[in-house]
Amino acid sequence: MVLNEDQRWSLVDLLAEQTISAGTYKQTAWDVIGELTVKPLTGIPVAFAVLYAFWSVFCSFAGALCTDGFFVKFFDNHFLPWMQAVWPDPNSILYFLFVGDPLADNCFEAFGMLTSGLFIAIGVVLPAVLIFYLMMAILEDSGYLPRLAVLVDTLLHKMGLHGYAIIPTILGLGCNVPAITATRILETKKQRFIMMTLLAIFVPCGAQLGIMLEVIPESVGYVMLFLLIGYVVFGYLLSKIVPGTNPEILIDVPPYHMPQRANITKKLWMRTSGFIINAVPFVLLGILFINLLYIGGVIQWLSGVFAPVFVHWFGVPKETAGPLIAAFLRKDLAVAQLSNIEMTQYQMISAVVLISIYFPCVATFVVMLKEGWKELIAAVGVLFAVAFVYGGIIHAIGILLGVA
Amino acid sequence: MNTEHNTAQIYIAALGLVTMILGLVDILVWIGFTGGIEFGIMEIAGDDFFRWAWGGLVVFLGGALMLSGCRNVGNIQEFSKVLLGAALVWIIAACDIFAMICENIPAGEEAPEFLNSFAGFVGGFAPPYAPAVILLPFTLVIAYFFYAWGFADES
Repeated sequence: MVLNEDQRWSLVDLLAEQTISAGTYKQTAWDVIGELTVKPLTGIPVAFAVLYAFWSVFCSFAGALCTDGFFVKFFDNHFLPWMQAVWPDPNSILYFLFVGDPLADNCFEAFGMLTSGLFIAIGVVLPAVLIFYLMMAILEDSGYLPRLAVLVDTLLHKMGLHGYAIIPTILGLGCNVPAITATRILETKKQRFIMMTLLAIFVPCGAQLGIMLEVIPESVGYVMLFLLIGYVVFGYLLSKIVPGTNPEILIDVPPYHMPQRANITKKLWMRTSGFIINAVPFVLLGILFINLLYIGGVIQWLSGVFAPVFVHWFGVPKETAGPLIAAFLRKDLAVAQLSNIEMTQYQMISAVVLISIYFPCVATFVVMLKEGWKELIAAVGVLFAVAFVYGGIIHAIGILLGVA
Repeated sequence: MNTEHNTAQIYIAALGLVTMILGLVDILVWIGFTGGIEFGIMEIAGDDFFRWAWGGLVVFLGGALMLSGCRNVGNIQEFSKVLLGAALVWIIAACDIFAMICENIPAGEEAPEFLNSFAGFVGGFAPPYAPAVILLPFTLVIAYFFYAWGFADES
């Protein structure tokens, strides 16, 4: 059927009549609150409160309820003694690889593939990742994230980025892999490079946060403070060094709305199942690999070779070499390993910061490679330089404060 | 301005002031200005940066927002600031209550069973409470104003 011009206009009128309703606009408190949360004077207090809630719920659910409340008791009092009882020959290599230390009374110390591996993956990291992604999905679907992007736009511009860089940054606190992919929302090569490098160095993933909460609950704040300072300072320096442009953008801020349960469930399932598929094998195989390196004497040899750098430059025990190698596989695994090394609180803080900044985990490494090998090499170069310089600075701060 | 608005204005100003003071005390106790405070059913332990310094700052800013909007509560722009201030207190209080729930569901570390008894669970909610939790019922009056005065109505 072919319509002439009049018929087409009649059809337009008909559609407009059925779909558009005219009335007087009345501003509601929701509209005003929507505006207030993007203005710095009123928006920054809200951002403080939202970030507080994010971290508080994360700690309460993952730390107090799941890990400390149930999983520690299950793994330490039931699973570990059972594994130690049923696995034959405590002096065998297989026992060392799969069950770990026969005298250990908790899963952090045992460090076997099936004891510490399952405890870290299921008992510590899974609840952390689950609650992180749930809150992330709620923030996304409620319409708050674009407002946060507007609020931090000025600060991020000083680091060669713009407001939307907050999205990969927050995603990186869950897992660096989707965060690296999300750097594609940034316009220029310069912005993507800076963001990718900062993510790889200064943004700890949810798994690492979860294990930090378990191993060094009293020092997590200091570690995060060092990482935040590094994120801003090195972001600023990179924006001055890296050539390229940093254009202004227009951000479309949607109205607030109630998140839909179906959407939240779908996102949560997609992201958490992705984590289970990608991360759990890495944790288990990572422990196996590290234990093999211990058996082969490689870790002990590396500890000896890098001892001067670790002890004198970074101010941490030479045994930290082992966890740093493990960090290439999984950073959460490396932090768990640190708990078995004797050191002061400041050394522990320095060691955890070093693990965060020295190299991305292998999964992040692969995704960075997909974004371009030239960018990866440049990012790794920056990364080593930053780790060396910043690690030394942290040690120097400790010396000045008399705590190193 | 009608009498109801006048009364609400005084109520919100007083509430904002008390909220600001309690937020400030949270921070001061954390700094070490004074030791932990226990006053009736209220407790400010001040032993944790995150809870008392950061949380205290949010409570303080919530009070400041309530005060900044209390002069003309009949105006939607000003009332929204009051509502936002109350929302900040709700966030901190909700986090405190959620933490209590999470801590009281499992049985203690030494107990052989996994789940807490019902009596143990309920007993975990006994006082003392943090200031934000005590402020919560008083700030809920602002939610009442929000609906009663028609600010929640859609266009």
